[in-house]
Amino acid sequence: MTCLPEKTDKKLGLLIDLNICVGCHACAVSCKEWNTSGITGPLEDLKPYGDDPSGVWYNRVHSYEFKKEDEIDRTVYFPKSCLHCEDAPCVTVCPTGASLKRAEDGIVLVNPDVCIGCKLCSWACPYGAREYDTTGGVMQKCTLCVDKIYDETISEERRVPSCVSTCPAGARHFGDFADPESNVSQLAAENDARDLFPEMETKPVNQYLPPRKREHHESKKLDHKVSNVKDALIKWAKLDFTG
Amino acid sequence: MNPALSVIIFSTFSGLGYGLFIWLTANISMGTPPTNDQSVISIVLTFVLVSIGLISSTFHLGHPERAWRAFSQWRTSWLSREGIISILTYGPMVFIGCNIYFNLGFDVLIKPMAILGLIGSIITVFTTSMIYASLKAIPAWHNKWVVIGYQAYAISSGGVAYIMIDGWQYYKVVIALLLFALLTKIVTWVHIDKHRGQYKREDALGLPDFGKASPFEPAHSQKNYLQREMGYDLCPKRRILMRWIALGCGFILPAVLLYIGFPLAPIITLICLGGMMAERWLFFAEAEHVVRLYYDRDSV
Repeated sequence: MTCLPEKTDKKLGLLIDLNICVGCHACAVSCKEWNTSGITGPLEDLKPYGDDPSGVWYNRVHSYEFKKEDEIDRTVYFPKSCLHCEDAPCVTVCPTGASLKRAEDGIVLVNPDVCIGCKLCSWACPYGAREYDTTGGVMQKCTLCVDKIYDETISEERRVPSCVSTCPAGARHFGDFADPESNVSQLAAENDARDLFPEMETKPVNQYLPPRKREHHESKKLDHKVSNVKDALIKWAKLDFTG
Repeated sequence: MNPALSVIIFSTFSGLGYGLFIWLTANISMGTPPTNDQSVISIVLTFVLVSIGLISSTFHLGHPERAWRAFSQWRTSWLSREGIISILTYGPMVFIGCNIYFNLGFDVLIKPMAILGLIGSIITVFTTSMIYASLKAIPAWHNKWVVIGYQAYAISSGGVAYIMIDGWQYYKVVIALLLFALLTKIVTWVHIDKHRGQYKREDALGLPDFGKASPFEPAHSQKNYLQREMGYDLCPKRRILMRWIALGCGFILPAVLLYIGFPLAPIITLICLGGMMAERWLFFAEAEHVVRLYYDRDSV
């Protein structure tokens, strides 16, 4: 059913600490590996060894350079997957009811037996969280490893999404954002957690901790020194001894 | 957005079809008794155009055999609503057509059926436009001009087709509507050009206070589904060319040809349809999805 639940009992989601992520892609690889064998798999790989490999990934690690005046440039690694939004536009546009948001835990899922592959949900999502499976003719997306987090045959500490359990840096946290006492709620409250693209009014559940603010402004001095040395060398090379 | 032929054909053909049906049913509703041949031709043409559009729209589905499921989510989905109302509008269409052609004698019901058909057609075009206008992630579509425009283009192009079938008595009204539609299109372009660039990459990343962000290492080596579906790059020269083709063939030329009384009305209709297809191609090609902010666009 594509009507969004008024309130979900839990708000399961991820909190990603951009201070800690080193862009190793382990989360993306682990996600692909886990889910290709799971309930929504396989995640197609087209021409995996050719010139133009392509396929479905639920999680992709972007990276950006940030330039700000008076600061040294910084690199931010930016893993991005479905944010399991409270006001998920991908769910309400679905004409078939294949897209749904679960009332019990807020996870957004696609039912592959009902999806007609019209792709409208991928148009509605501002985050690019949904990818089309050309082999199966249906839309696919992050399930928050719904077949792992509720699996009672594995030990309790392993019941977290695959991306979280594999992250070697400890940048990814999983928990219930509806519970103010949970690990993710507390981390979010203590650390200026951010919504992606709040302008889109989707109320994402997943949160991102921003890189920490720079306290020292060394960049100008550093540039200055470098250019001094460079200028001096050029002067020497030109046998210019003025000044 | 990638301008897929199946979707362009769907919305132009069904737009023309419902536009034509709006003219026929409006005429009957206002008391003009449906004359045998012309009305049947109008209805057959409407039926064919709308059906080509609907069938074409299933070509881009991953599972066309499941298309019936799309009628279920009318509570939230404009696509679902469009599917339902477009199918319902077949009712009056088939009824009026059969009643005239087979002389069934339900003449009392013709007028109420025409009113239902008229309302159904207008709502169908409205729901089609709302599929696009409801998408906040595509700013070029998320505005009222898309809704006004779809209605204007359907009724003006339908009017040209109606002249072709039922004679020239309303040609001045059609010219006025073509000019109104032309104006709508220009206002739409002014609107989207003015609002281009309103969302920044830093907003998308949730980090507006960290300076200017630019992509560093790509997340993947080759284009993925998102970039193929939503990463269409429109060359600025082609934009200008296509805008002129859309204006010229969609509105200006049909209006001029109607004004001078060009004898071959089917040619005017074809020119108008061609212009509509150029307009719809641009509608997709010009619309940039905000997901591009995570890839190659600083602002959308």
